[in-house]
Amino acid sequence: MRPVYLHGSAVSTTWRDASRSLTDLIFECVRTALGTAGISAADVGATVLAAHDLVDGRGLTSMVTAPAAATYLKDETRLGDDGALAFVLGDARVRSGSVDTCLVAAWGRASEGPIDEIAHALFDPFTARPLALTEIAVSGMRAARCLGDFPGYGRWRGAAAARRGVRPADPSRVPATAWPLRAGELPVWADVVAAVVLGSQPGPVRVGGVGMSTEPYELGDRDLTGLTALRTASAQALTDAGVDAASIDVLELDGLTLFDEALAAEAVGAAARGDGMSLLANSPRVNAGGGSAAGYCAPAMGLVRVARAAERLRNATTSQVGLATGASVVAAQVQAAVVLEGA
Amino acid sequence: MTGPAELAILGVGQTPYRRRHEGSTPELVYGAVRAALDHSGLEHRDIDLVIGGFAPDALAGENCPDKRFLPAAGAVGKWSMRINTGGTTGIAAAYAAMDLLEAGRGDAALVVGVERMAQARSVPAVFNSIFDPIYERDTGLSTVSMGALRATRMMQSWGYTAELWARVAERNFAHAASNPLAHIRTAYSVGDVLTSRMLAWPIRQLDACPISEGVCAVVIARTSAAARQRGRPLARVRGRATVTDTYNMGDRIGRREGDLVELLTLRMAAQRALGQAGLASAADADVVEIHAPFDHAETMAYAPLRFCAAADGPALVESGFGHRDGGGPVINPSGGPMAANPVGATALIRLAECALQVMGAAGERQVPGAATAVATGQGGSTQFSTCTVLSGS
Amino acid sequence: MGESAAGKVPPLTIDGHWAFDYTYYAGDAASRFFAELANRRIMGTRCPQCLRVLVPARGFCDACFVETTDWVQVSPHGTLETFTILTTSFPGLPEPPLVVGYVMLAGASSAVLNFVDGIDLTDPDAAGTAMLGRPPVTARFKDVCEGRITDFVFTLDEPA
Repeated sequence: MRPVYLHGSAVSTTWRDASRSLTDLIFECVRTALGTAGISAADVGATVLAAHDLVDGRGLTSMVTAPAAATYLKDETRLGDDGALAFVLGDARVRSGSVDTCLVAAWGRASEGPIDEIAHALFDPFTARPLALTEIAVSGMRAARCLGDFPGYGRWRGAAAARRGVRPADPSRVPATAWPLRAGELPVWADVVAAVVLGSQPGPVRVGGVGMSTEPYELGDRDLTGLTALRTASAQALTDAGVDAASIDVLELDGLTLFDEALAAEAVGAAARGDGMSLLANSPRVNAGGGSAAGYCAPAMGLVRVARAAERLRNATTSQVGLATGASVVAAQVQAAVVLEGA
Repeated sequence: MTGPAELAILGVGQTPYRRRHEGSTPELVYGAVRAALDHSGLEHRDIDLVIGGFAPDALAGENCPDKRFLPAAGAVGKWSMRINTGGTTGIAAAYAAMDLLEAGRGDAALVVGVERMAQARSVPAVFNSIFDPIYERDTGLSTVSMGALRATRMMQSWGYTAELWARVAERNFAHAASNPLAHIRTAYSVGDVLTSRMLAWPIRQLDACPISEGVCAVVIARTSAAARQRGRPLARVRGRATVTDTYNMGDRIGRREGDLVELLTLRMAAQRALGQAGLASAADADVVEIHAPFDHAETMAYAPLRFCAAADGPALVESGFGHRDGGGPVINPSGGPMAANPVGATALIRLAECALQVMGAAGERQVPGAATAVATGQGGSTQFSTCTVLSGS
Repeated sequence: MGESAAGKVPPLTIDGHWAFDYTYYAGDAASRFFAELANRRIMGTRCPQCLRVLVPARGFCDACFVETTDWVQVSPHGTLETFTILTTSFPGLPEPPLVVGYVMLAGASSAVLNFVDGIDLTDPDAAGTAMLGRPPVTARFKDVCEGRITDFVFTLDEPA
């Protein structure tokens, strides 16, 4: 297997920019990512995309949107799953030697569709939809459990929320809350595109290792605060890279709300059980750009976290190691973890 | 395939394909996966990756239905992801599994293609919703009219007629009669096709695939890991390629590199996959499963698969090409998508049927002595094409 | 004590409704294309690399992966490159039968999809066969343009 390097990346976060269609947003972000990698569309050997039909409001979205991601007469596939999972598949394409350069892109435009209703449609029509469940509601249940079990969550939630930056005034950008979540702990909906260029030639960031795991669909079958899939995925990624959790300098953790991010910090081993919120409040290592409050729309977010981690490694003055995670829909049923190593 | 890991299909499990299944999606998936594992000789614990294919969500009335059915395929605690590339979804899911296996991300994978479109009571409206909402949706485009626009152009360019295409349909239905899994098992005649209901001129009901439900599961493994399965038949992956075109059909009208009906993406994919397998033409295979939901679409694939020049397609149909007893390659011994077309599974079924043929495990529809088989996949606005070559062990 | 799993009850179904409302942003290129329809002009954009005039107008050329530059007005006259006769009814669309087809307008490099009006469809086979020869067509604008692709339709220059 060959080593894989991250050559370029781009993230665009906008809101209701009427001057741009969805395909315009994808085209511009992908072009920027290719630019940072110093290559043209012609150099791309394969493309792996992540997008959801229902978020995009297009019955088979990649039919209309894939060509905006430099796929013309190319080897291309699309996941209806989180962007970090697409990154893992893109990494495999280069690692195996099947292509030398692979573009990975993911997007979601929250301003075009009814995000809360779409999240409701994720749930079982027999057992959960009649109960008005959304993913925010699941985060609310996670938060309630944390506040009940761990005193640190109550103590540090205010300070951790304050680090997430100023919340936009537009009420349509924040979902209706579910107790005990507070407004500053919720995601801020955005029109998000992320793109990453992977290659076999040495580049500024190396992909050290990857991992992935899956939880049951039924919420009652899961350990809602233990994030079993993320524990497994990050342990695999760390083992694959030959590093331990303590040596991670840069953490970019995907979570819908502040509480999901705090639980993710525990699951990857960056904080002890019950100390995740304290880490978010006090450590500059985690989600330096504000996490889900800096703009959120599935299924782009795992790839956003990878791109943000890569940026931070590129900008670091010393050689550092980063860990990025991505969570799928239905309240983080599938999780992927990626270890990145700066040059 | 000369990749870093040699890959093979070890097992296939399928539900029958029917207009409607009464079981829940997880139940249907579990049944097909159980059958695929049993066929492969592997156990659930041997599986490292589970890749699910489903398309489009609106046909099920569920957002990301894969999250509900992947656990039934044994995904919990393992790597899993969902692929959605429209018509090619099933084969794209298989390719994702192959890519991960070749990168050393596991030894064995389960691929599951699923369709529950009977849950939608508004199928034409769903198929209209796939088109560009800004420039094209207002014109009432659907998957059928999208096909019809190509059929008309093939009549203009190469002299195809409704009668010729009806002969292709008749052969597919004749083959399907010996496939117990097929949705349509009536041996409709040319006359039946030509008098069936008009859907979108020149396409009639029996020129087109039915609306079908069902699940196809395939076990794929690195051959090094499959070594302990010695004695069991394998279907080795000899070549594979996928190519994507522009969405815009209007951009392909008169395009220098390949017109709308020249199927440039399949030509490119076939060239690569056949080349990897050392075949000059798909006609050198014993079995070819063509992913074509319409009879005209099957004939559109003939030139890209190097059966003949595009202009000679009508004469090739006239010659009775593709029949089980015709001497040349047998086209769609399963009956093909015209006999069952569960969208999220259909391209994987083409692969699975080819695997069964070269493993000698195709039962009533077995082509005697089949050693090499070619499967195609076709999706989007006829813009995603795949070509896979399999051979027996 | 557990009961046997063999006991069979009638399968349960529940009704679902699947409707989501969207606001699609057309973007600058399509917005201008639609605005120009009100001026009775059909516009394309030129790719600076392959020099194709893309109709309807696009902000970028997906083949060359560059932004388009010049705006070009194309002729309302063109050729019916391919078509079909629709028989399926859609909510909010005119009642079938309808003819829809791709037209290559003079000055354009790509064909545009729209309805073809004014054709006698009493015998669809006769009507369809008569139009197979790539007949010339002309875009006719509606009296009131709404900024939709259906602001114009094509008609045959000579009756089929």
